[in-house]
Amino acid sequence: MFEPVLTRNIHRPYSEKITTYLEHGGYNAVRKAFAGTPEEIIDMVKRSGLRGRGGAGFPAGTKWGFMPKDQDIPKIVAVNTDEGEPGTFKDREIVERDPHQIIEGVIIAAYAIGAGRAYVYIRGEFFLGVKRWIKAIADAYEHGFLGKNILGSGMNLDMSVHRGAGAYICGEETAMLESLEGKRGNPRLKPPYPAQVGLFGLPTLVHNIETLACIPHIIERGPEWFAGIGTEESKGPKIFSVSGHVNRPGNYELPLGISLREIIDEHAGGVRDGKRLKAVIPGGASTPILPANRVDVPMAFETLNAAGSQLGTGAVIVMDETTCMVEIARRLAKFFAHESCGRCTPCRIGSVRLYELLDRIEHGKGKPGDIETILETANGIDGLTFCPMGAALANPARSAIEHFREEFEFHIEHKGCLVKAVYSS
Amino acid sequence: MAKTVTIVVDDIEYEVPAGMNLVDVCKQYAGVDIPVFCYHPKLGHDGNCRMCLVELATPRKNPHTGEMELAWFPTLQTACTQKTSEGMTVRTKSQKVIDGRREILEFLLSSHPLDCPICDKGGECPLQELTLRHGPGTSRMYWEEKMHLGKHVPLGELIYLDQERCILCARCIRFQDNIADDPVLAFDQRGRHQQIITASSPGFNSIFSGDTTDICPVGALTSADFRFNARPWEMVQVATICSHCPVGCNMSFDTRTDREAGGRTTIKRIMPRQNERVNEIWICDKGRFAHHHMEHPERLTKPLIRRNGRLVEAGWEEALREVTAQLQHAGENVAAIAGGRLPNEDLFALQKLIRAQGSHHIDAYPPVRGGEFTASVGVGVGTNLADMGSGDAIVVIAGDLHEEAPLWWLRVKAAAERGAMLITIGGRETRLDKFATHSLRYDYTEEVATLNALLGCMKLTGLPRSVDGLKEAVKGARAFKPDKAIKDAAEALAGANNVIALVGHEGLDGQGSHNLAQAVANLLMATGHFGRPNNGLIVVWPTANGQGASDIGVRPDYRPGYQRIPVPGMGYTDILAALADNTLRALYVVGADPLFDDPAAEQALRSTLGTIIVQDMFLTATAEVADVVLPSQSAAEREGTYTSGERRVQRFYPAIEPCGQSQPDWLIIQTIGKRLGHGNPSPSAAAVLLEIAKTVPQYAGITYQTLAEVEPQIPDVGGEDLYYGGTAFRNRHGLGVQWPAAAESGGALSAHPVEAAESIEPEEDMLLVVPITLLYDAEPVFHKTSLLHGRVPGPDILMHPEDARYLDIADGDVVRLSIDGKDITVVVRFDEQAPEGAALLPRRMQVQGAPMAATFATLVRWDVEALER
Ligand SMILES: Cc1cc2nc3c(=O)[nH]c(=O)nc-3n(C[C@H](O)[C@H](O)[C@H](O)COP(=O)(O)O)c2cc1C
Ligand code: SF4
Ligand code: SF4
Ligand code: FES
Repeated sequence: MFEPVLTRNIHRPYSEKITTYLEHGGYNAVRKAFAGTPEEIIDMVKRSGLRGRGGAGFPAGTKWGFMPKDQDIPKIVAVNTDEGEPGTFKDREIVERDPHQIIEGVIIAAYAIGAGRAYVYIRGEFFLGVKRWIKAIADAYEHGFLGKNILGSGMNLDMSVHRGAGAYICGEETAMLESLEGKRGNPRLKPPYPAQVGLFGLPTLVHNIETLACIPHIIERGPEWFAGIGTEESKGPKIFSVSGHVNRPGNYELPLGISLREIIDEHAGGVRDGKRLKAVIPGGASTPILPANRVDVPMAFETLNAAGSQLGTGAVIVMDETTCMVEIARRLAKFFAHESCGRCTPCRIGSVRLYELLDRIEHGKGKPGDIETILETANGIDGLTFCPMGAALANPARSAIEHFREEFEFHIEHKGCLVKAVYSS
Repeated sequence: MAKTVTIVVDDIEYEVPAGMNLVDVCKQYAGVDIPVFCYHPKLGHDGNCRMCLVELATPRKNPHTGEMELAWFPTLQTACTQKTSEGMTVRTKSQKVIDGRREILEFLLSSHPLDCPICDKGGECPLQELTLRHGPGTSRMYWEEKMHLGKHVPLGELIYLDQERCILCARCIRFQDNIADDPVLAFDQRGRHQQIITASSPGFNSIFSGDTTDICPVGALTSADFRFNARPWEMVQVATICSHCPVGCNMSFDTRTDREAGGRTTIKRIMPRQNERVNEIWICDKGRFAHHHMEHPERLTKPLIRRNGRLVEAGWEEALREVTAQLQHAGENVAAIAGGRLPNEDLFALQKLIRAQGSHHIDAYPPVRGGEFTASVGVGVGTNLADMGSGDAIVVIAGDLHEEAPLWWLRVKAAAERGAMLITIGGRETRLDKFATHSLRYDYTEEVATLNALLGCMKLTGLPRSVDGLKEAVKGARAFKPDKAIKDAAEALAGANNVIALVGHEGLDGQGSHNLAQAVANLLMATGHFGRPNNGLIVVWPTANGQGASDIGVRPDYRPGYQRIPVPGMGYTDILAALADNTLRALYVVGADPLFDDPAAEQALRSTLGTIIVQDMFLTATAEVADVVLPSQSAAEREGTYTSGERRVQRFYPAIEPCGQSQPDWLIIQTIGKRLGHGNPSPSAAAVLLEIAKTVPQYAGITYQTLAEVEPQIPDVGGEDLYYGGTAFRNRHGLGVQWPAAAESGGALSAHPVEAAESIEPEEDMLLVVPITLLYDAEPVFHKTSLLHGRVPGPDILMHPEDARYLDIADGDVVRLSIDGKDITVVVRFDEQAPEGAALLPRRMQVQGAPMAATFATLVRWDVEALER
């Protein structure tokens, strides 16, 4: 039986409080980490096989290894709490209910890479999250986990919170750094990567908070424990945010590699109202839609890639048979068109063009050939953009057409919805 | 030699410099044009337009086999963000690349108004050009879904934005941020709603705003001067040189015959002409927009003669007869004042005439000295401010380059950003100080003392033997006490590889400017920074051809080519005095208007019994008191040459038909000379230059042909190369010739100790008033361009708030100052940058009686209204 670790405390009363956290073994990992050398910590993270939970799945230990070793260069940890990906609500739950777990991860990461400053970036709409962050940081200072000479180790770490103004792209790490610097949240050119030139020009380790939350557990239970969970290339526990047409939407911490079907049927209580499953977005709005016949896929980076989608943030959006896929594609396209930062041509203009085409079809104004134009447009965006958002915004429409082309054709031909037609007849 | 690498472009190998921008390399070495919109060689890359996509591979070690192999990026990459490295391989013509470019263009065009038929850029538009080469023939998108946005959005009074045409490449923003250091443009909104806005008040507040219209790759930015005025292909480009400041920016008059002008050829716009050693591809807004005096209705079209106290129109014959008679009568008791903006040919003719009359009473206006030092230790031939960087030093003294020579400011600032040491020495903070490594402040009148102190504390290991009198000069300088800042600057300067010094004349009269230039020359000579490229002196002249005037002997102490006159004639100040006491019988003023801005001229010119002959384009203040006024041609109507502050002789060409009966100055002067028996006029301006070249040794070999020689300019941004510059035009008509200073041609060099100016202790209640130069002023020629009136400040005096508080003056108070017994009325403006203890009075602001050089004034009274307020 899988034992949740990241969410083990969240159901306790006052789980957000430092006293609760300390009562249940909190901040022990920091002490343990301080007993080892930074190199040893980095090595542990490498051996754990932990991959980033922010969407890209980059091996965390490798990223830590990229940080310059020169002690004279000030370094920074930037904590990504932007959580803008539609369907994803795991970070919010951790921040609101167990923020100290993340702070502990931040301290260990800062220790390992030699950072003296940590900046939290949180999306502006997370009102409670902001409060919890601020309170948790203040308490951590009070208890000597932040500030000067932490736990007598000689290590200093200052931490503060910065609220975003609500742009999806500000979750992209370099846009987040720009925003943290007080500039327009537009992505930066890479290379240089944040590990070389990050916040205020200093080497910066950027992590999603779920990634950071894994760190104390890896230190406490050992990398082998962590690596023992999951699949060949995807290790450890993962919080899956399940939403949509299921009976019990919510966050479920489960081992990576669990099948999508199990998440939906066993944990989320199956498709609601006894309806049939139609499609699933397995990793957040930017990941390609999978049709119902592919839900046996294990939820891991490599297996989802093979199945034609991505693990992304692990946000599972479930759609039942009453869902119009044209409308799904249209809504997601609208989101991305709205969230384009505007910097580069294909995304700035292409995203709107894509939306307009989908909107026409949805509203019965589609013309023969529009489907081809959508696919071509999507391909003309993906791979040509400045930042990965291009791929993200091409995915929904492209995959919806790939698997549900007949619905688009019906919309164009009959100026109405196939799904509606079926259900109203 | 820089490190080279081998790269492969479309299957062909090239040896190229390492670390060079891939777009530039492909163009320069492989002849492959990679289309770009946002990239610009002068601005660097931003990677936003995605037009420059290529297939890219770099060699990488195979993690499994350990062998080196070529790893292709899975997606297309932007060439503009790549730097060359060994083995880099690109495909620029593959189907994938072709498809990618077509997609980008379709996106851009699908939100573009396609109003090419009425667009200023049409015909020289990178978007048009690249669409023809790489774009789709038709769009797959729906026309009715095009976004419609503002078409005539004024960013300021000079530049308009067409939001529909803008492709959001950020070139304009990046130019303003990184090149002009006026971050006044920005993006507003996000995504599809993103727009260019101005963030300054007044809008688009930058003296380089016009340059953004050139680099804008579409017709989104247009100038109030040119918009909807002509199509690019209808215009004839006539090479010219800017006549507003000593930088000598290369430009073109773009002309067209105009129905509205009755079929006359008119100047439609001014564009920069690429000259990488002078202005690269930029010009300031004064140069670009202040050309309207040339076609102004107030131009003089006929000679005027004073009859019964009034100036009335006359024929040329009558006027010339009158002038000849007066000059004959005056004999050697004649003097001449020539405007420093006159071309060399005119200046030469004038000094020849005056000297033929047996007089050396000739001077340029305003009278600034220092040419003799540039003739000996001026910057070496081949000097390029763009070569100055880390390890080099630039010293800027007694002036505000941003206002007096904008392009030098731009290029000095860029050198500082490349790592050159920048030492500013002045009485006040200017916009250059922000980039300076050392800022030395002096009290006005301590200019020379500061320079001497700097030289005095330099650790010198052996002095150049080629210079006479250096020992004495250094010894003299050692008597001056340096403070810590001076010592630090001296130490920094001692380690510099190359040193260029730009010396201005703020607060100085003619003698003061001479002494300061001598002190700076001493410093350069003692430290060995002369006689080679990127080393030596530049004088920041107050006019475009101050250098030429000095070279050509429009000064009382030197004949053409710096041949010293044993008994010099009278200079400007003495000429005025001699006029006042009527020892001079005639004054010939050509292209100068001392009455406009020199209170000292007032009494002399109004009271003299001598004849005053004025030759000008306009009925200037000086012309109004003349006995005869002769109409001369503007630089757009004739040919000629100017010599820039870097001693580059540059040629300009006739662009428009002459105004009325006006004639070129040199021809008028020579015609008068003929009547006076001094020989026949030259057949052409070219022939005058030949004579100059014969007379002025430094100009030997310079002809209109050599001045017209060109060589390719790198980076290639002009000509047909519309990917880059759009409209920054290729220089097809000459890059000019820089003449060698004595230090380079083996001439004698000598240094002389300079005495510091006497510092005057102000009396109680006296205020030091320092005239400063602003780019935009009320000077008549400039003021004929109404477009820029909004940027000319009022009759203000700038005062440090502390000083004002001490004097009990409030911001905005109207005060009256008494200078040499004359009163001036000015409005006080608080300025934190003004030095304490000195009030700054912008020159040429139509403040009657404003002084020419720093002087003391008494506060006469506060304005009654202001007091009551
Ligand atoms: C368009 C876009 C949006 C993103 N939004 C988020 C986000 O909201 N939260 C997040 O943690 N990572 C987000 N990322 C991923 C970050 O760029 C980055 O990879 C991540 O923060 C690194 O942390 P990790 O290695 O712990 O995953 C986004 C990436 C892209 C391209
Ligand atoms: S793809 Fe381009 S426009 Fe879109 S978010 Fe990234 S940088 Fe901005
Ligand atoms: S106005 Fe011109 S230069 Fe500026 S962003 Fe738009 S297209 Fe580019
Ligand atoms: S992205 Fe390379 S030129 Fe614009």
